[in-house]
Amino acid sequence: MIARWKRIALLGATLGTALGLALTGGRAVDAAPDQGQNSSARIKLPKLEFRDLKLENGLRVILVPDHSAPVYAIDVCYNVGSRNERPGRTGFAHLFEHMMFQGSENVGKGEHFIQVYNNGGGMNGTTNEDRTTYFEELPKNQLELGLFLEADRMRSLNVTQANLDNQRNAVQEERRQGIDNQAYGRAQLDLDNLSYDNFAYKHSTIGSMTDLNAATIDDVKDFFRIYYAPNNAVLTLVGDFDADEALAKVKKYFGAIPSQPTPPKVGLADEAHYGERREIIYDPLARLPEIDIAYHIPPGNTPDNYAAQQLAVILGQGESSRFYQHLVKDKQLASKVQVQGDTRIGTSQLYISATPRPGVKMEDLEKGIDEEIGALLKAGITPAELDKAKVQILREFIERRRSALYTAILIGNYTVYFDDPNLINTIVEKENAVTVEEANAVARKYLARDQRTVVVTYPASEEKAAAQGAQ
Amino acid sequence: MAGRSGGSSRSLLRIGLVVLIFGLAAMPQSAKAQAQDKGTALSQVQRLNRAPVNKEILRVQLPRPTVVKLKNGLTLVMEEDHKLPTVDFTMWIRPGQLADPAELPGLSSFTAGMLREGTEKRSSEQIANEVDSLGATLEASSRFGSSYTTVTASGLAMDAGKILDLMSDVTLHPKFPDDELAKFKQNEGASLEQRLSNPQFLATKEFKQVLYGDTPMAIAAPTKESIAKVTEGDLKKFHGSHYVPGNAILGVTGDFNSAEMQGLIEKYFGAWTGKEEQQEKFPEEAGAQPTKITLVDRPGSVQTFIIGGDRTIRRTDPEYYGLAVMNQVVGGGPQARLFLDLREEHSLTYGAYSRISTEIYRGDWQALSPVRTPVTGEAMDRFIYEFKKINNEPTPQGEMDDAHRAIIANFALSLEQPSQILNDWLTVQYYGLPVDYWDKYPDKIAAIDAAGVQASAKKFVDLDHIQWICVGDRKQIEDVLKKYGPVSVVDVTGKVED
Repeated sequence: MIARWKRIALLGATLGTALGLALTGGRAVDAAPDQGQNSSARIKLPKLEFRDLKLENGLRVILVPDHSAPVYAIDVCYNVGSRNERPGRTGFAHLFEHMMFQGSENVGKGEHFIQVYNNGGGMNGTTNEDRTTYFEELPKNQLELGLFLEADRMRSLNVTQANLDNQRNAVQEERRQGIDNQAYGRAQLDLDNLSYDNFAYKHSTIGSMTDLNAATIDDVKDFFRIYYAPNNAVLTLVGDFDADEALAKVKKYFGAIPSQPTPPKVGLADEAHYGERREIIYDPLARLPEIDIAYHIPPGNTPDNYAAQQLAVILGQGESSRFYQHLVKDKQLASKVQVQGDTRIGTSQLYISATPRPGVKMEDLEKGIDEEIGALLKAGITPAELDKAKVQILREFIERRRSALYTAILIGNYTVYFDDPNLINTIVEKENAVTVEEANAVARKYLARDQRTVVVTYPASEEKAAAQGAQ
Repeated sequence: MAGRSGGSSRSLLRIGLVVLIFGLAAMPQSAKAQAQDKGTALSQVQRLNRAPVNKEILRVQLPRPTVVKLKNGLTLVMEEDHKLPTVDFTMWIRPGQLADPAELPGLSSFTAGMLREGTEKRSSEQIANEVDSLGATLEASSRFGSSYTTVTASGLAMDAGKILDLMSDVTLHPKFPDDELAKFKQNEGASLEQRLSNPQFLATKEFKQVLYGDTPMAIAAPTKESIAKVTEGDLKKFHGSHYVPGNAILGVTGDFNSAEMQGLIEKYFGAWTGKEEQQEKFPEEAGAQPTKITLVDRPGSVQTFIIGGDRTIRRTDPEYYGLAVMNQVVGGGPQARLFLDLREEHSLTYGAYSRISTEIYRGDWQALSPVRTPVTGEAMDRFIYEFKKINNEPTPQGEMDDAHRAIIANFALSLEQPSQILNDWLTVQYYGLPVDYWDKYPDKIAAIDAAGVQASAKKFVDLDHIQWICVGDRKQIEDVLKKYGPVSVVDVTGKVED
């Protein structure tokens, strides 16, 4: 379940604070506990000032000067993800991401890694259903390098059959490493496949081996032309630079890249399904069973989605969470349980993942989970629980804000997903605005048994026993 | 990322569902569907050098911490950072897992894992609730191969006192209640079972076993037996003997005033007593073993996880700089030889790297990569090619300059990561390195030339002694591997298979 949590963690858990107030410059004081005060409201974060503008070619540019460390981060977020793929070409957006490192007119194959790392920096690229983002962090005296590398490939990506075949292999190995050669890999993919009806989110971002093998050079060139245009991208710079000088450099490198027609939109709505969906997997690599559950929740950056994020914390994040205390500790039904809400442009999901304690039947664990959800729906959450959830989410967000790189990535994501870079400042208000009543209403509406998807994985060795049992 | 190796190195983000490069860590589709393995044109790495690079290396100096030794022997390392209103505590307590009795592997990790499960004045549930209500974190772990237990806590700066209250309570006064221990054992058992399905864990476990022989460093996990056997008495004894202030260093970073923080720490940790233990010394061991391959049979594997490596040096050894530069050239990141060779040119893997691990005992160097099963042989060829190359050919000056610059220029990035800086200073304190160690580090790195890299390779990348671990499907890879040396086969629990 690794990959999904990581994606979510970027947005979900960090959709927290950025209240706009000055740093307290505080001292550690052993203050007497202040009963009844909302913990999360005690936290103040400095407001991030930034410039937000568009070049003539449509490239949106966000500049966030930050002189606290002699570094800068650059994030280029393209408004394209696996949701834009068509049947027969799954995995393409991510394969294309790999192609973006294979060279452009003035940058050789592999040279991107070489130039960034050998000048003291770090970088990566990531693709999910909704967007593809590329980022670097470098010492502040290498501003031109980062801008040059990103602009050159946006303008003139070099596509050859040899490079395509090579990166196709890298992607297929990535799939093997993360999914096919890991226990529960298949469960990860099947859960969304079963839970979503709309093809956009139904298929996996990593794609199928068959479709990856079918990708052609012309597919790559078309994809580049349609989606990798300045008017389909957001460039965010955070760090130790002067905004005017940085803007001049951005214009110098990106200004002449021609815009392209607006890419076609993809409908992301997924109807609520009535009736539970279930699948059983016998996994030759799993040594223990696992249950994975998904519920649809509203799209990201909606009041109901913020409430669902906080419900996820209350249910299953941290050792004081309900699932941990009741299922792992008190009733000892589970040896491990995780809950996470995700944030997508379209219909999102709340996920539960649990491992039964050795000796415990899966039916009993599932019954235990149902009882916990039932208790939540019946009696609702307490104000203390809600406050606890907010302060946990908030603290994680503060840690993200420390880093120029994370800040740049967050702003890029907020802009592509929600057309709102200022979410970096307003998100904490949105988190704090969730009320007990709203959270309870969200739970009742979305955590319904007949609107969920369940994938149960057993070790393959148990398949025979199950077949015999069924007779 | 060109980080300071040997301790914890920051790896750049692994966020997003699928990523371009993936630092191997922690981090079926039927075998019928295969990628093309033959007939693809070689995809050549190419350097045009047209990108505008500032030739000047931005030199920075790491801000010095305040170091104080309290009356009871606890050492404080404090590094103020006022960017955000948070505070982070990191405590290292000797001797860690290296003090596990031979018949009870994992005792140190059990002790650390049970600290939060109840103290003299708080139940496990109360601790969980207090921590989460503050939005804080409180964790304790004792990593296998590490000579210290780690206890960390973090949260809002305004809650520093409450956080220290909790941290000191679990560190000084754990109760190890029987009923909690029973639950803990169940979860440990399940966790162990899960790990046995993970190829990287299996490879690391076997590598340590092969390399470290009869020493505590050979252990990578507890056993079913040790989990079953451990008692409350064992935990109390371990805690009582080893959790003493003279064994501990407490690092703090965040938004505070050092003098006030010292007062706060004295309030919560000042009453801590116990007799300091001398740090264990590890005698020099016998010479290197001849090269061989240990195949960990994992039926159904669609990849072979390969590790090739050998014993190296202690953290304080002056040869550290040469090893660091050599490692940087060979496999320090996606700009290094292994990645460019195995992935970018030969399409065998998603990632290939090398890394150093050094400690108070002689650690190891390892090159690693998971490759698809049918190209196991070709991957071995590539590893051997690169191992020979670093031994036999002086590294070209351009690559030497790159390696130096990657390491030295990277220091600038740590200035925005106070936890990295704190870790650097804890390392200095723990290993008794000179106070100006990090100031001198860039020059020491720059002083390693091609001859220095070759000397390091001759010692640590010696094909006559490299130990290979291959975790994969025996049926598909055993015959292929015989070409590279004597092969012995074990199952995932380490038991010999005929």
